[in-house]
Amino acid sequence: MTLVEAHGVGRRVELPDGSRLDILQGVDLVVEEGDRISIVGRSGSGKSTLLNLLGLLDAPTDGELEFQGRDVRRLSSGARDRLRGSEVGFVFQQFNLLPGRTALQNVQTPLLYDRGSGFWQRERLAREMLERVGLGARLEAKPDRLSGGEQQRVAIARALVRKPKLILADEPTGALDLETGAEVMSLIESVADESGAALVTITHDLAIAARSNRHLRLVGGRLEPLDAAPSAPAVPAPGTLASSVDPALDERLTA
Amino acid sequence: MIRALGRAATGAVSTIVEAGEELRIHRGRVLLSLVGVAVAICALATVVAAGSIAEQAMREQQERDGGRPATYQIDLSGMSGPLDPATAAPAWETALARHGIEFAARSAQFMTDVQFADGVVSTSIEAVDPDYGPMRRVQPILGEWFADGDAGRLAPAVIVNENFWERLGSPPLETHPTVQFVGAEPRTGVVVGVVENRGQWDTDPWAYLLFDDAEALMAPSPDPMFGGLYVTYAMWLPEGDAEAIASSVVDALELELAGVDVQVSQYRTDYAAYGDDPFAQLKLVIGGVAAVVLLLGALGLLTIALVTVRTRIREIGIRRSFGATAGRVFFSVLMESVVGTFLAGVVGVGISIALVRSPLAAMALNTDDVQDLPGFPVEAAVVGIGAAVLVGALAGLIPALTAVKVKVIDAIRF
Ligand SMILES: Nc1ncnc2c1ncn2[C@@H]1O[C@H](COP(=O)(O)OP(=O)(O)O)[C@@H](O)[C@H]1O
Ligand SMILES: [Mg+2]
Repeated sequence: MTLVEAHGVGRRVELPDGSRLDILQGVDLVVEEGDRISIVGRSGSGKSTLLNLLGLLDAPTDGELEFQGRDVRRLSSGARDRLRGSEVGFVFQQFNLLPGRTALQNVQTPLLYDRGSGFWQRERLAREMLERVGLGARLEAKPDRLSGGEQQRVAIARALVRKPKLILADEPTGALDLETGAEVMSLIESVADESGAALVTITHDLAIAARSNRHLRLVGGRLEPLDAAPSAPAVPAPGTLASSVDPALDERLTA
Repeated sequence: MIRALGRAATGAVSTIVEAGEELRIHRGRVLLSLVGVAVAICALATVVAAGSIAEQAMREQQERDGGRPATYQIDLSGMSGPLDPATAAPAWETALARHGIEFAARSAQFMTDVQFADGVVSTSIEAVDPDYGPMRRVQPILGEWFADGDAGRLAPAVIVNENFWERLGSPPLETHPTVQFVGAEPRTGVVVGVVENRGQWDTDPWAYLLFDDAEALMAPSPDPMFGGLYVTYAMWLPEGDAEAIASSVVDALELELAGVDVQVSQYRTDYAAYGDDPFAQLKLVIGGVAAVVLLLGALGLLTIALVTVRTRIREIGIRRSFGATAGRVFFSVLMESVVGTFLAGVVGVGISIALVRSPLAAMALNTDDVQDLPGFPVEAAVVGIGAAVLVGALAGLIPALTAVKVKVIDAIRF
């Protein structure tokens, strides 16, 4: 099933001085259920902007964008919010946990917006999800008591607790060391596998990019495929990350 | 349909749950402002309660003196003095019956000799009809007010004041203590009730007798005093058309008493007869003070609520990215404020109840004489909680609008 379909999508903003800036231009992208997509690109190339569009946080100024067959621009803002809540899960680079709340409370947050049975079972669902990411013993810990890797695992539990069809990860390993980053990625992938969700990952890390099966890059607001997929998409063992990256990929990326 | 209702109900419950949790998380920050609101509500509720008690005291005092609204008195006097009650009685009965008047009472005051253990004392007697009790809010502290069947008993029922009762030796009413009226034809009355003295200056014994009994008591005596007895004919009428009824009663009396040397006139005696509302000014002052206090509380709350929201823009963005709608964020911030001020209101009213019920307040308000004194005026509690919720909603409105305007994308980028 097609989750997202973008045709000639553009995002333009008006700058304070009155001039216009095209952050994205002519983006074509189809995300199918179960896809593993990585997007690389330099800082400021529009990666986050694209992710916001895919996740219904933003609407395009040009082109057509459909989410599960529905024209995003014709959805009311409330409908868009509810659709996002039930179908999309975000994982951010800086974790974005709610400060002062326990891990359990953080993971319950999305379920507060579930108007079905999820709300009433929020505590059980959140606990199960935290156990799934290996934090069953840290339910009552607040973010400032958790390591970066643990915080990101709480964030993953939160992103996935409503079983979204689309997981959007914006540099999820950017604030973590190499080894922890690889562990976190494995976790996202395996949890996504379980629910058959599509995963779109933005990353600077070529080893992380190499783990997906479709590789894209953003250059100056335009999305293009990385022509040759990495030869060895198999998951590299931690510790061998750097050496497993295809040098040619690195060249194409930084070109 | 049922599914949609279920979803709506879940939405409502989850909004309240979220507001409650937010309140708990930010309790440190909101506590300070809520203390202010609680103090303001306490002041407001206390002022309203004290005002209402003072008003009740004033009202009762005035009702004791002039009757409850609307009380009309009829004057039946001729050239040679007041009309003989025996002549007046049938005309009065007829006029009352014809107008279907529910509460009406004659009253007259005279002196008679009473035999106490330590001697005979000339004692003031208030001769009244049974309706006099409810019309003037007379409530015995012991025993009961006269019942309709009390008239014409062999031993007339007597209601005495505290002084009288003490001079009898404070006997329990179950023992049917008796009173000896001495005179040309001595009689024995039975004490059925005791009323409070009228105040500190009221040091003599006095008693209520039923009008008909008093007449019988005095009738055999050729005492010329009773002939010249001044009788007040009072009616308690529904406020709406009291004036018309009173005039019509006068007409009826004139008709009944045609040929008798008498001039019939009516006048209104209760406090409401003077101006619209004698308490309007008091209420205005009290209301003004309360409003200022509350306004200050609301301003403090608003400031803190705004600061709180500004520090939470990122959190709001995160919530939005996980499916919170703009409406949900609006209500959640508003609810937070309302739930908070509601609790502050409950605390404020609670403190106010403690204050108003304390002996100190009773002294300050001089409530000893207030009869219908409630433990705490319900209106004060309602006004207090209502004002708290209103202030919460008003003070929460601006932060809620601020929260809705948060741009999600900007809020979550770093
Ligand atoms: N609302 C906005 N107004 C002005 N410029 C913006 C706005 N949003 C993004 N940009 C600019 O667009 C570019 C792309 O931003 P972003 O998508 O965050 O890039 P990336 O995530 O790839 O680093 C950046 O130069 C950024 O400054
Ligand atoms: Mg970015």
